[in-house]
Amino acid sequence: MTQQRPEPPAVELRGIVKRFPGVLANDHVDLSVAGGEIHAVMGENGAGKSTLMSILYGLSQPDAGEIALGGATVSFSSAAQAIGAGIGMVQQGFALFDTLSVTDNVVFGAEPTRRGLLDRRAARTAVAELIERHGLRLRPTDRVGDLPVGVRQQVEILKLLYRRARVLILDEPTAVLTPAETDRLFDVLRGLAADGNTILFVSHKLHEVLAVSDNVTVLRDGRVTMRSATADTDRAALAAAMTGRAVELDKIYPPGTPGDVVLATHELTIRGAGKPVLDGVSLDVRAGEVVGVAGVAGNGQTELVAAIAGLLSADSGAILLHDKEIGALSVRARRAAGIAHVPEDRAEVGSAPGAPLADNLAVGFQRRLARRGFLRPQAIRAHAAAIVERFGVRAATTSAPMRTLSGGNQQKAILGRELTHDAPVLLVEQPTRGVDIGAVVNIHQQLADYRDAGHAVLLVSAELSEIRALSDRVLVMYEGRVVATFTKAAATYEALGLAMAGGTP
Amino acid sequence: MRTVGVTLLGALVLGALLLAATGANPLEAYGAIVTGAFGPDGIQDTLAYAVPVVGMATALAIPLRAGMVNLGGEGQLVLGAISAVAVGLHVPGPFGLVVALVAGTVAGALYAAAAALCEVRLGVPLLVTTLLLSYPAMSLAAYLVRFPMRDAGSSLPQSGQLPPDVRLPAMGSVTVGLFLIVAAVAVYAVVDARTPAGFEARATGWGPRFAQYAGIDRPALTVRLLACSGGLAGLVGAVVVLGFPYRFIDGALITPQYTWIGLLAALLAAASPLGTLVAAVFFAALTSGGFAMERATQVPRELTAVLQAVLIIFLAAATGMLRKKRSPA
Repeated sequence: MTQQRPEPPAVELRGIVKRFPGVLANDHVDLSVAGGEIHAVMGENGAGKSTLMSILYGLSQPDAGEIALGGATVSFSSAAQAIGAGIGMVQQGFALFDTLSVTDNVVFGAEPTRRGLLDRRAARTAVAELIERHGLRLRPTDRVGDLPVGVRQQVEILKLLYRRARVLILDEPTAVLTPAETDRLFDVLRGLAADGNTILFVSHKLHEVLAVSDNVTVLRDGRVTMRSATADTDRAALAAAMTGRAVELDKIYPPGTPGDVVLATHELTIRGAGKPVLDGVSLDVRAGEVVGVAGVAGNGQTELVAAIAGLLSADSGAILLHDKEIGALSVRARRAAGIAHVPEDRAEVGSAPGAPLADNLAVGFQRRLARRGFLRPQAIRAHAAAIVERFGVRAATTSAPMRTLSGGNQQKAILGRELTHDAPVLLVEQPTRGVDIGAVVNIHQQLADYRDAGHAVLLVSAELSEIRALSDRVLVMYEGRVVATFTKAAATYEALGLAMAGGTP
Repeated sequence: MRTVGVTLLGALVLGALLLAATGANPLEAYGAIVTGAFGPDGIQDTLAYAVPVVGMATALAIPLRAGMVNLGGEGQLVLGAISAVAVGLHVPGPFGLVVALVAGTVAGALYAAAAALCEVRLGVPLLVTTLLLSYPAMSLAAYLVRFPMRDAGSSLPQSGQLPPDVRLPAMGSVTVGLFLIVAAVAVYAVVDARTPAGFEARATGWGPRFAQYAGIDRPALTVRLLACSGGLAGLVGAVVVLGFPYRFIDGALITPQYTWIGLLAALLAAASPLGTLVAAVFFAALTSGGFAMERATQVPRELTAVLQAVLIIFLAAATGMLRKKRSPA
């Protein structure tokens, strides 16, 4: 295999085993990456890809197996040692100082000095050279806080290059990027690879892996289930390797039959510190219709839903449910009037991770599950069992704490609880974030069925494929405003991507 | 449970070393604590001390269940006590006894609800309002028993003695007030586990944002829970002064630390009704046993306090570790 190459692989992991209590996170994983290669590491949540990368980056130590860089066996007991050996990692959350310049951020912790003092000029020159060499679009003097997210990510990459990293690990790097920023990142990665750098691209997004990588390794349940040149595989094969079965991808649900307007907002505005976070948003959602709200995170979608649900009060504008103003009502009154809500933040808002599943499912139903003022434990259990059964939630028992469920099952439970209200309006945010492919299909089908039963659904998602699959109409939000509206047919990736970046269609 | 057992053992060993270092016989000292707390003589003292501690622990556990801390227990306790005495001195007969108990409860409830309203309406944090409103209540009681309500035949800051028919019937060292406190604990346990209101309080304790999202009206809940908490604290005050020596003595409700030991018990038990009861009884036994140890051995008073502190810290660490084990890394 790898021995046939005259040159040893830049990175080689051999027989990596890592156990956590109750889980075998990595089960004899082999991974071999040549210099100058972009290698995708794929897998669902909990497949072991993050564990594997944290072992390579020295954040945790394997129970068995070894790491070789350029043919020489190494072992790291800390990230500092891995960095010293030329490995760098861009984590999902950035570690940047917003108030400092690009240069200051890049050299932080490894500042050039002259006679014991900081040598700012040398730092600026070094950073400028790196930017020039890799064709990045930023200036050393830019303040990081002023830069868009996609460019901040390039600052993170610069930090690694400045520390002479030759092996770059990027963990789900596109999660926060617009489609255009993603393309830009891919250009940068290709340039880095052409320069001889080795790139490990951790992702669960099929089309991105196919677009950017040379080779791909797929993990499932801690084991390698597929190893292939990217050119020799396709979406279906990757999805099957990730889930262990054939999955129907990119199903576009047929359009619904919209009826009367159920939910409407009129010139809804929430003032922010500087710019308004929500700027005169007017929309309507009809019975039997899914209205998708697309946009890069942080453009007002969260605030829009929070304002409709009653979690945030709007500064001006109206919210109408069945033509009645509900903008001044409490959350409980709005729920009683007919709004159900699946929030973006499952752990903090949508559920109580430490409480039993049954109690999580009973929240919102506590008055209905009581008889003569007393809650009946058997009613709570039966209510939970019904949701678990109907929505296919996999849990050991309904008395198990919520956090013991996988992300997909938590989401199915929350969605099931909210759908059980049978409310005329469902607000649903990022319904499949961090959810396995198998569960995605299930959740999408539930949402489509709910719409077909005559309910109005407002769907906020950063996943364009999800927006396209379910929406009868698509609104695009940018900087707190609705900048474009598309019919189902007109909502192509290109058109949505352009509008999400603030361009006019 | 094993963690608790192991840490308890660790605390006892550390305590034994401390005792030995001062020249005392650790086994003898521990024996004195146990007989002091549960022996034929000691059990009476323990019970008398446990009743107000359990009452205050439960009172403070009620809002704590929803993640709200009532630091004003002392003020509510004292206000309940002085109100009960004021009523008892003027309304005669068994009717007076009942009205005194109700007056104590209502006084504590209204006072705590006022603190809650300050948070809900004015945005002053509950921690601040409950704690700060505690001082005027204590000062008011101190003033009343020094001037308008002073016992004419005494130079001490205390009220006059209640007439014999406005006293809770005694059973040994405690009064039938014991049953009132036990009933309060039972009601709390049932409401907590079996009613929508208790469920909503627990859900708020799981996560304030989750509760808000689910449509639970936090401001209303805050006022209700604080009223229940203050009401029970006021009832505890009334029960104490309607027992021996049947009068309000300034400082008599503060010096024994009922409130703070109760709060400690509620915090350690994460406000669970049964756990709070067990922890409160344990601390009451430890305290009365500590006094007995002081009398029976040459161990100085300060060391009993140190010993208690060691035990409490170890227990807190054990429950903290238990909770950590249940949450993900």
